[in-house]
Amino acid sequence: MRMMSLYKDRNTIVHKIDPLNKILYILASILITMLISDFKVLILTLVVSLLLLLLGKVIKNVFPIISFSLIVLVTIVIIQGLFNPNNKTPLVNIGQFIFYKEGIIYSFLLILRVLNILCAFSLLILTTKPSDLIENLVRRGLSPKLGYVLASVLQIIPQMLSTMDTILDAQRSRGLETEGKLIKRVKAFIPLIGPAVMNSLISTRERAMALEMRGFNSNIKKTFLNEHDETSFDKLIRYLLIALIIFTIVWRLVWLK
Amino acid sequence: MAKIVVEGLKYRYPLAKKLALNDISFEVDEGEFIGIIGANGAGKSTLCQALTGIVPLFFKGAYGGRVVIDGIEVTKSSLSEISLKIGMVLQNPFTQITGSKLTVYEEIAFGLENMGLEREEMKRRIDEALMLLDLYKHKDKNPFDLSGGQMQRLAIASIIAMQPKIIVLDEPTSQLDPQGSSEVFKAVSDLKKKGITIIMVEHKVEKLSEYADRIMLLHDGRLIDFDTPSKIFSRDDLKDYGVVEPVFTRYCKSIGLKNEMGLYPVTLDEAVDLVVKKREHSS
Amino acid sequence: MSKKLWSFKFSTAALVLIPAAVGINYIGKLFAGLLKLPLWLDSIGTMLASMLAGPIIGALSGAINNIIYGLTMDPISFVYAITSIAIGITVGVLMFKGLIKNVYLAILSGIIVALVAAVVSTPINIAFWGGQTGNIWGDALFASLMAKKFPMWLASFLDEFVVDLPDKVASLVISFLIYKGLPKSLINLYSSDDEIEKL
Repeated sequence: MRMMSLYKDRNTIVHKIDPLNKILYILASILITMLISDFKVLILTLVVSLLLLLLGKVIKNVFPIISFSLIVLVTIVIIQGLFNPNNKTPLVNIGQFIFYKEGIIYSFLLILRVLNILCAFSLLILTTKPSDLIENLVRRGLSPKLGYVLASVLQIIPQMLSTMDTILDAQRSRGLETEGKLIKRVKAFIPLIGPAVMNSLISTRERAMALEMRGFNSNIKKTFLNEHDETSFDKLIRYLLIALIIFTIVWRLVWLK
Repeated sequence: MAKIVVEGLKYRYPLAKKLALNDISFEVDEGEFIGIIGANGAGKSTLCQALTGIVPLFFKGAYGGRVVIDGIEVTKSSLSEISLKIGMVLQNPFTQITGSKLTVYEEIAFGLENMGLEREEMKRRIDEALMLLDLYKHKDKNPFDLSGGQMQRLAIASIIAMQPKIIVLDEPTSQLDPQGSSEVFKAVSDLKKKGITIIMVEHKVEKLSEYADRIMLLHDGRLIDFDTPSKIFSRDDLKDYGVVEPVFTRYCKSIGLKNEMGLYPVTLDEAVDLVVKKREHSS
Repeated sequence: MSKKLWSFKFSTAALVLIPAAVGINYIGKLFAGLLKLPLWLDSIGTMLASMLAGPIIGALSGAINNIIYGLTMDPISFVYAITSIAIGITVGVLMFKGLIKNVYLAILSGIIVALVAAVVSTPINIAFWGGQTGNIWGDALFASLMAKKFPMWLASFLDEFVVDLPDKVASLVISFLIYKGLPKSLINLYSSDDEIEKL
């Protein structure tokens, strides 16, 4: 593992969309799902996201991402169905438990919200190279230093992981017990994490020096090795998404009255 | 004109009680290859850091005297400005990789992007550095996929592309295998041929004697001696400073083989020449 | 010290501490899993960053930690960046006010951190999960409190708090012990308020 990423390299139009537009799409999805609690709207946005994922040929890769939240989503139905404070209308009886309509409807609303947000994020994560995303944001004004930090995390973590095995082997050969009673295992934690922390902190000193020698703190305006042109198509999408976001907020405000 | 002027340099790290550098003065001319030797704790790394401004600008601490690099006094400048005049390569090849770039080519670009260079100029310099350090065939690899020697050459290439006139190398081969070490030595001698001033801390004294014009002997933060390799290694008190002479010098010392100036040879070639001359002389 | 506490001018060393902190978080989580500990221990890096370089770097480490998790594993992690930021700020402030001096104070600070984390997480848990945390024990408590007609916000807060309390106390104690074992020169590296003294 050289670089942490869920990016799937495919040649589709979705992959070519400007990363900023995908971020705006996430923002729009979250606003719509949080501000508008209408099933029709929620299902519509979910369908749009799924279609885009299909177009990007990454629809299959969404399921592992959703599976992270699957157990919670199932228990939400149970807990809300049984105990939601607004529960009035019994729907089904399973043994001695009564599931209520209000709680079940509420839990479906929550599930749709989560699925919407997961799919919108997946669109960004699965079809955008993290390094491209970060460079794009730096071009648009994100501090180059923060950009560096974000980009380096993706490669430095795999580097640190490779030292993990070394530490584990070294400590085990010195007689560290990593199995057995809880107290034994708790005591094993510090000898394992301690050297990992020391290693990584000492390398921060050298890496910081090396960065200083590469003009990291230069006040000159940074240039970019890679070229980047924004297409008029990207601009169009951007204006549409911004319009959608404004429309959602206005709709919510008017609708509230 | 002297490229490096150091006058009365004193330095103490924060929280430390002892001076790491104590009243050091010397000058280095353009295009010279300077070796630095001394025991652990002699102040070799600190001196490197002082030449590049890392001491005191990065570490702070207590500082006295002056270091002037190509007309700029380091304490009156900034690290990004100094890095255009003098570059530094460290021991550990891993920590010098920025970690934010996915290819060797982009890694070299890191410093150039920070300098705000035009794209064409950037590419020209990167290609040149790749050629000089013999990394062209690896240009699309991930920096972390390189061998130690290749990674260290990448670190040098990344510095060279910024076109400093001086390069400081602080034990660049100490974490490399013999293959990697000789790759780095070859690269450094190529830089010297291009007229770049080189300051190198190195324990491999045989190699150092081969390349260095002058050698600086440090002990306990003080500059003991600064002279040609033969003068330095002909000293009979090297042991007091925790330093050993090259193996050829040691051999010649043991059999008392000196040249007409009373100095011992420091490289294999010099030793062989001297033996041949002595033989012709006696026959 | 307090004047510099909220400074946004970072030294390069402090900035480079952030990727290390995120890595330490990750390794902590992996070692905890490997040892089958009933804790996450995935905020040790953030806490150490706060102790070494102050609340802002701590908060940034927390935020970037969750952004990276969000980008590479589970997008829901983005939302909880706010909790990580709160943890970073709290530990940084407690440390720089001199309140984490020994193990007992570290335990007490761990309780404060757990409280803050639970307060910040509860609205998120309610908005996304109807109040649940996804932790079996916490959610079991949540279900039983809901069955007893406790208000949802209180049930949700307690759900989060019982999960956070042992984890944050253990994490802070471990971070403190590691901090105590670090060489002074390393600790000094990340504070940016030193001046160059003249010799």
